[in-house]
Amino acid sequence: MTPETAGVVIGTGEAVIFWILGPVALAGALGMVLSRNAVHSALWLVLTMLSLGVFYVVQEAPFLGAVQVIVYTGAIMILFLFVLMLVGRDSSDSVVETLRGQRVAALALGAGFAALVGAGIARATQDLPVLGLEQVQGGVGGPSSGNVEAVAGLLYTRYLLAFEVTGALLIVAAVGALLLTHVEREPGSRQTQKELSRARFLTDRPQTLPGPGVHARATSVAAPALLPDGRLAEDSFATGIEPEQVEQMPRPTGREQLGSPDAALGSLDPTLSDTPGGRTGGEHR
Amino acid sequence: MLSTYVPIVGLFALAAAFALFSVAVAPFVGPRRYNRAKLDAYECGIEPVDQPLTGGRFPVKYYLTAMLFIVFDIEIVFLYPWAVANDALGVWGLVAMVVFIGTVFLAFAYEWRRGGLEWD
Amino acid sequence: MIDAPDFSFAALSPLLLVLGAACIGVLVEAFAPRDVRHPVQVGLALTGTVGAFVATLLLAGTREVTAGGALAVDGPTLFLQATIAGLGALSILLFAERSLDPARSAFVVSAAVPAGSPRDRELVTTQRVQTEVYPLALFAIGGMLLFVAANDLLVMFVALEVLSLPLYLISGMARRRRLLSQEAAVKYFLLGAFASAFFLYGLALVYGATGSVRLRDIREAVTAESGGVLMVLGLGLLVVGLLFKASVAPFHSWTPDVYQGAPTPVTAFMAACTKVAAFGAILRLLYVAFGAAEWTWRPLIYAAAIISMIVGAVLGLTQTDLKRMLAYSSVAHAGFLLTGVIGFGAGGDGSGLAATMFYLVTYGLTTLGAFAVLTLVRDGDGEAGHLSQWAGLGARSPLTAAVMSLFLLALAGIPLTAGFTGKFAVFRAAIEQGAWPLAVVALLASAVAAFFYLRVIVLMYFSDPVADGPTVGVPGLPTTIVLAVTATATLALGILPGAVLDLAGRAAIFVG
Repeated sequence: MTPETAGVVIGTGEAVIFWILGPVALAGALGMVLSRNAVHSALWLVLTMLSLGVFYVVQEAPFLGAVQVIVYTGAIMILFLFVLMLVGRDSSDSVVETLRGQRVAALALGAGFAALVGAGIARATQDLPVLGLEQVQGGVGGPSSGNVEAVAGLLYTRYLLAFEVTGALLIVAAVGALLLTHVEREPGSRQTQKELSRARFLTDRPQTLPGPGVHARATSVAAPALLPDGRLAEDSFATGIEPEQVEQMPRPTGREQLGSPDAALGSLDPTLSDTPGGRTGGEHR
Repeated sequence: MLSTYVPIVGLFALAAAFALFSVAVAPFVGPRRYNRAKLDAYECGIEPVDQPLTGGRFPVKYYLTAMLFIVFDIEIVFLYPWAVANDALGVWGLVAMVVFIGTVFLAFAYEWRRGGLEWD
Repeated sequence: MIDAPDFSFAALSPLLLVLGAACIGVLVEAFAPRDVRHPVQVGLALTGTVGAFVATLLLAGTREVTAGGALAVDGPTLFLQATIAGLGALSILLFAERSLDPARSAFVVSAAVPAGSPRDRELVTTQRVQTEVYPLALFAIGGMLLFVAANDLLVMFVALEVLSLPLYLISGMARRRRLLSQEAAVKYFLLGAFASAFFLYGLALVYGATGSVRLRDIREAVTAESGGVLMVLGLGLLVVGLLFKASVAPFHSWTPDVYQGAPTPVTAFMAACTKVAAFGAILRLLYVAFGAAEWTWRPLIYAAAIISMIVGAVLGLTQTDLKRMLAYSSVAHAGFLLTGVIGFGAGGDGSGLAATMFYLVTYGLTTLGAFAVLTLVRDGDGEAGHLSQWAGLGARSPLTAAVMSLFLLALAGIPLTAGFTGKFAVFRAAIEQGAWPLAVVALLASAVAAFFYLRVIVLMYFSDPVADGPTVGVPGLPTTIVLAVTATATLALGILPGAVLDLAGRAAIFVG
């Protein structure tokens, strides 16, 4: 695997990192294929990609390593996870074979392909001398300049056209995403700020709705606000959330009555009071 | 070459060790006095529910956000070597970059004008 | 100091025109009001493609390597670029047809509205169109122009993606039978991404074997050590990726589904232009980079040609849908084209390159015309694709039936049509290179394939019309132009092919 060489001797550090992270990368790949849960698959893939990023760094291509981590494990995996969430985390693959024997054939062919390519690569690279990256990345000012300059030297000369055309690819990606996901609003179907505010002043309630009953005694936005007489303020119900009865903390009246400060913050007892707003009965009043 | 990374590896090791240490030791040395307030959702948060209203699915709009993120992420990746080698690249490097950013900006203009950036 | 690469903007002009028009098209989508978008986009797309066509004609005779060595502008490049730009302009005309469908377009109003939803039903009768198809089609054409000129595997890969991505998108944008269309888009995308991965893998292996992705350097490396295991593996994977795009069996399985599901103008565009681009890249890759290692790929191409001809011809027989039938015909024609590739000969001394390029022109024009006729024959649910619906069309609409018969005869390769001259040229090239068994298989496959083309003609002229048969729409100006051009060219190239054959012959020298 790590051939002894003409040009460069592979350092111990590199060898150690390879033999540690190599199996990790492989395990990540296997885990990705074998996981039942799609989100787990994605996370396994992150493991593989991170290991590959470290490999790039170890092989003197730190820029590539950083890009691998930023673009693949950052952006692409985010996209993967988003798509999984769009489809629904719980939706699973159908295990019905529409073509009989398809799975067996796919397994056999896949294993055959892997064996063919693996054996080919193993044979071809058996006695290959290792050139350090310094000899390969010519670019700016010769071997002494860094990896990033070498990449820039190639990217903006030999591959300038490919680089510019990548812009076209990015446009197509963005346009395609908008095309397939964004239903355009009919023009004029949306009210402007001005119209909205006019409409509001024509109602009985020009001011804002009361906020939820969040204060030091109940921390959830689901806690409705209370009116002075202890009733719930219905205007304060948050949209889409069931209003919850929140157990109110006992009102502290003095250290000697309550004991420790922790006891003053309420008990783990799940009993809720039946008074609206969760006020506990009279004893603290 | 790899010796450059030794401090970083050391820092990683230190960070990992600290995290492990904190998690491992906290249960033994920390006081444990639970109360209702500590178990509540944090201020303005809501009590977690099992299933969101849409049956566990994200709205498809996130896809657009993720795609835009990738587009500009890749743009940044290309910007970086250009910035590092800017002295050597000279004016035409700047021109090449401006053309590239211009094309990517087209995508942004399209998205913005067609309301792709409006959330509701 | 890094020196600027040489950029010959003149040699790049076809590409710049098309991609520039596409970029402006995106701006139009962003800023122009909705009701002027369609005419503006059509004008822009036609300007771009026709401009590119004219630019390639003006460039004729150029032989240079430009853009830092990434692009080879030579005879084959310009000939194929002219073909792609011309066929692309005709396809844009088909896209722009507004008088056939009652809702005035073959494209969907809003691709994001779920098919069958109340909003979708509401939009069925609107005459609005998702006009993004025009800039997207231009991007695809730009990718194809780059694909046939790429002198570098990396540029070739970027071009492959630029031409594929828009195609995946627009094949899912049919106005009618939307689910079928979306299914086609998903299938095309998944299999296409898979094929791209093969190409990329092959690219990496070839780079590992030869130390370069530049075609000239690869050729030098291959000549020096006549290729190792890595190179052969890499070449094999590259070829798989390209054969997929060219819909050669056994990598054709997407073709019938996608051709059937995509909007018919898009199908026409794919069948004509993608095929030209893919074969341009195959020829350049095999002869410029791997010409010295002919023994490695020749058996592969030989086998693919035979399989493709047989699969296309035999499965074409069993089809009952015209679009699917034409899809299998496209698979068979890809096999015939590969006989031309074989006919190029080891040293590039055969007439195979010229013959293949000529065949691409004839096939592109004919298949474009055939799909254009398909858009005319309609029933209440869009196009009437089922064979039985075409029964007796000769009596009801003699002109349509006659034009369709012409295209079908040309596809079958009957003398006095373009298809015959094209087939004759590629078979001759293959026989000259000693590949006569291939030519025999090709002749047999042609005979089998001729059966299903002729069956449609027989059905149109010698069957009784069905009672509630389809109507034949009166085409508007764009489709009329397309039909006139393709029919004339099919006849002209069949009777007087000399000029174009000559042109192809003179253009057929690679630079690299």
